[in-house]
Amino acid sequence: MYLKELSLINGASGDEGRVRDFIKRTIQDKVDEVWEDRLGNLIAFRKGTKGNRKILFAAHMDEVGFMVTNIDEDGTLLFAPVGAVETQVVVGKQVKIKDSIMGVIGFKPIHLQEKDQLLKPIRYEELRIYIGARNKEEAQKMVSIGDYVNFVTEYRQNGRRASGKAFDDRVGCSVLMDVIDKRQRYENDVYFAFVVQEEVGLRGSAVVVEQVKPDVAIVIEGTIAGDDPGLEKDRWSTHLGEGPAVTFMHSGYVVNQKVFQAILSVAEKHGIPHQFRRRTPGSTDAGRLARTGPGTASGVISVPTRYIHSPVCMIDLEDYANTVLLIEKILEEGEVFAK
Amino acid sequence: MIELIKKLTQAYGPSGRESEVQKLILEELSDHIDGYKFDAVGNLLVWKQGSSGKKILFDAHVDEIGLVVTNITDKGFLRVDAVGGVVPHTFVGHRVRFPNAVGIVYVEGETEEERKKNWTNLTLDNMFVDIGAKSYEEAKSKVPIGSFGVYDSYFYQMGDYLVSKAMDDRIGCAIVVELFKRLSSCPNTIIGSFSVQEEVGLVGASVAAYTFAPDVCVAVDVTDSADYPKAFKRHSMVLGKGPAIKVKDKASVSNRQIVEKLVELAEANHIPYQMEVLTFGGTNAAALQRTRAGIPSATVSIPTRYVHSPSETVCLSDVENAVELLIQYAMKGV
Repeated sequence: MYLKELSLINGASGDEGRVRDFIKRTIQDKVDEVWEDRLGNLIAFRKGTKGNRKILFAAHMDEVGFMVTNIDEDGTLLFAPVGAVETQVVVGKQVKIKDSIMGVIGFKPIHLQEKDQLLKPIRYEELRIYIGARNKEEAQKMVSIGDYVNFVTEYRQNGRRASGKAFDDRVGCSVLMDVIDKRQRYENDVYFAFVVQEEVGLRGSAVVVEQVKPDVAIVIEGTIAGDDPGLEKDRWSTHLGEGPAVTFMHSGYVVNQKVFQAILSVAEKHGIPHQFRRRTPGSTDAGRLARTGPGTASGVISVPTRYIHSPVCMIDLEDYANTVLLIEKILEEGEVFAK
Repeated sequence: MIELIKKLTQAYGPSGRESEVQKLILEELSDHIDGYKFDAVGNLLVWKQGSSGKKILFDAHVDEIGLVVTNITDKGFLRVDAVGGVVPHTFVGHRVRFPNAVGIVYVEGETEEERKKNWTNLTLDNMFVDIGAKSYEEAKSKVPIGSFGVYDSYFYQMGDYLVSKAMDDRIGCAIVVELFKRLSSCPNTIIGSFSVQEEVGLVGASVAAYTFAPDVCVAVDVTDSADYPKAFKRHSMVLGKGPAIKVKDKASVSNRQIVEKLVELAEANHIPYQMEVLTFGGTNAAALQRTRAGIPSATVSIPTRYVHSPSETVCLSDVENAVELLIQYAMKGV
């Protein structure tokens, strides 16, 4: 499992280079071919024994984060989110600017807040990053407009649970790297795409179809859990510990019915615990892969992840292991995807 | 043609689950086409070969809006999310049809305040579906999570108006089917795309156009009709004045040459028509025109009252005139 290493690397959308280098270094001797494309996607290929069909697995390398947009006279930084991050999860959090300079996201202390402040969501305009600079000139020596900003979060493992930043979608990357590690050759040609810029609008995956022309694509995601005491059980999306989540529909795309049923039938045949992703908001690269070029029958399998798009995410390690297992079995049972 | 419209609108076909409708269309068309295929995302593509070397694609989406089951309560009630642009109000007290059950859609509320609040701020999050199941297990066996449902709403005729669920866009499907049936010895190659998943985000259309790389595309879809009490003031479309030639909606501007050709053909053949500017909404034309290196595209619409409700209402003469206009365009459009 490479989740710890991947989680600690900083790589918001458009800044995936370090993630890509790590993945490339780790997998290059274990696949038949690996290349980077013009948008920065990393695509690996393992030839099949028969090679009748091409199966593509995709996970995105980017994480949500921020970017410095301006520097104030007092040396604090104004910033904007890269991908969807709500302000409520960022106040008071430690961040790192251009992978080197520590900062903290500040807001007025509770003592100085007006009575009804806590009821109102904060706007990004009201927040600043403090990097210890005393004025604008000092700050300008340390950072520039356009520098990326990432959360600083330790990775922890505690029994069945792991927590850290960027599990959406480093967990998908790690799962695919584990599958690559088995060095198994299957009947079908297998492609592994580690794509860029998912969080800002499913951009990287848009150029993968043209390069691979897959028959089937399966996106591996860290998806919302929402198994929260504040929500009734029948409003949860997924529940940690109940196995990988299979998507029937999400925003902008109804999962190809054959792919959906093939995933379920493999899970059932091999007794792999699984659950449905039981809410439809949010989208994945499956929607982009489906509608690009000649079209691709696409599906989604997710590792349920709590608190995504925040400084710290949490997964269940058995869900993770079962996701790896499910993918292996899908590849072994390649015939279930027969056209 | 009324029987065809009835058959297609009554069929079950929410986004992503369109095969029943496509099967009916294929049965209707089997003697009138030179070939067909289903592509990677499930579009049904049919064609009639011409000799001019020009290709025209007529698109109608087969899917309709609906609900998808996301959760089941311990007592056997269903939780649902929207499939496409669902207005929750249109489902309250109404029925939803799943492949193996029919359910009643209603609103939660444990106190008077909560009930009032929920009815005022209606969302699917405070609604549920009752299929008469007495337990989680019973509900799950009939309507498993991930099942798709559509309005359970019958077809009827009201003078020369036709009323049903799913006129959006089975009326377009019926028009394209009829076009193929009536078309004989057309110089141009005519492609019909019965596209999937329009309602969730124009998924099928871009793929359909990619496959054939046609010279022009015409989407056939419904549009708003502003002829009921206090209907949308800025819209001019009404039932009975003929098919609407779309100039613009929120997602696309119709190719001007196609628009002018359609107007010219309608005038020359005395086919009633009206011009359309829709201030919201969009059709597959938006996806078609951005496919490959770009394909000139436009939309011919059927003015429809109460779009995205169980009682979408169209006028039969508009439908007939749309078929006539599209036949002219198929013959002489390129």
